Amino acid sequence: MSERFRAFSFVDRITHRAGGRIEGQYTVPVTTTRFPASLMAEAVGQLAAWSAMAQLEFAWRPVAGLAAETNYHRIVAPGQTLTLEADIARCDPEAVAYSGRALIDGRCALELVDCVGPMLPMEEFDAPEAVRADFDTLRTVGAAQGRFQSVPSPQIELQEHTAGQRLRAALQVPQRAGTPYFDDHFPRRPVFPGTLLLDALAGLAVQLTREAIPGPSPDALMPTRISNVKIRSFTAPGTTLELEIDLIELDRDRARFKLGARNDGKTIASARIEIGQLESAQP
Amino acid sequence: MSEQAISQQEIDAVFPKVAQIIADALGCEVDDVKPKVPLIEGLDAESIDFLDLVFRLERGFGVKIPRGKIVEDARGPLPEAEFENKGIVTDAGLARLKEFLTEVPAERFKTPLKAADVPRLFTPETFCKVVIRAQRSAQATA
Repeated sequence: MSERFRAFSFVDRITHRAGGRIEGQYTVPVTTTRFPASLMAEAVGQLAAWSAMAQLEFAWRPVAGLAAETNYHRIVAPGQTLTLEADIARCDPEAVAYSGRALIDGRCALELVDCVGPMLPMEEFDAPEAVRADFDTLRTVGAAQGRFQSVPSPQIELQEHTAGQRLRAALQVPQRAGTPYFDDHFPRRPVFPGTLLLDALAGLAVQLTREAIPGPSPDALMPTRISNVKIRSFTAPGTTLELEIDLIELDRDRARFKLGARNDGKTIASARIEIGQLESAQP
Repeated sequence: MSEQAISQQEIDAVFPKVAQIIADALGCEVDDVKPKVPLIEGLDAESIDFLDLVFRLERGFGVKIPRGKIVEDARGPLPEAEFENKGIVTDAGLARLKEFLTEVPAERFKTPLKAADVPRLFTPETFCKVVIRAQRSAQATA
């Protein structure tokens, strides 16, 4: 079965689109075995991308770029439905700028603030007419639910480790063969999703925080805020990335880290992350 | 349209905030952001950083910097066909650039200069002037 519009697509239906506002929804399949929190941000980003692509007649598509701030408030579970919203501040063949949210049962689960997706020609990534047809499906009957299965856990090899302080690790990006999401992200040009890179970095930052803050139960520590995300270039299947996580600041119940990823020595992504307890998990 | 010259005093007034925004965007120390350091060669900026910078300056100063505005301003009154020829900046274009980018020392204008390499000349002071022009244009339309 073709994985296009299935293996890494996180909008099931577009419910409203007018002016700069777009709304939609996504239900995490009940059978999903792994749905990293960063995929909630992916869903909001994809909703904004649908708006931008439609506005530019499917000639251009945005690719991961910048996210000034991502705030996490609660985590979605398999079977739950995310209500997605995005407000497009600017959209032209250079870039789309937007902010957005994901809600669960009317309560905010995630906020994305001041994101920018640089635009590239759609032809490089997918067939414009096929993308237009998918958009029409989302606007009318909606896509079939349960298309997404799972994403594999990141394959990480620790190289340097100072407990609670610093980590250096190699991330082995999967090969295209056997990795369904590359057939959807994107059909003509497989690119390792920036949200999965952030998931790998966040996991290592959580590990360091557990070492630095013995108090809370280990499962309670999660990313609460990711800021200054910048994805500088594409990562192809099979690449080995060097990950860098450095403690910036440690409080009683939270820690902040600088995150970086390099390919062959060149920085391809950077961000800052705060690890703590989600509001929804606090007593 | 002739343009009222931008004074050093105006540049000094916006520079500290512009420098902080550049440091935040590039993840470098604010002390490394000198007014005349080339952003690409000196501070390792890439095209995504310029996009980031323009959005941060818009938010930070509450101004609008339209797409392509910097290059359009750099070209000034010259039509595109007189500014560049087959991707290479013409002599007239080069003269105009030198007049516009007063913060860039003469030896950095290498010839032949590809039009695509014009952003390589940009420095923090270039972006101070972008902000000042955007502020002036906002005042003019207010």
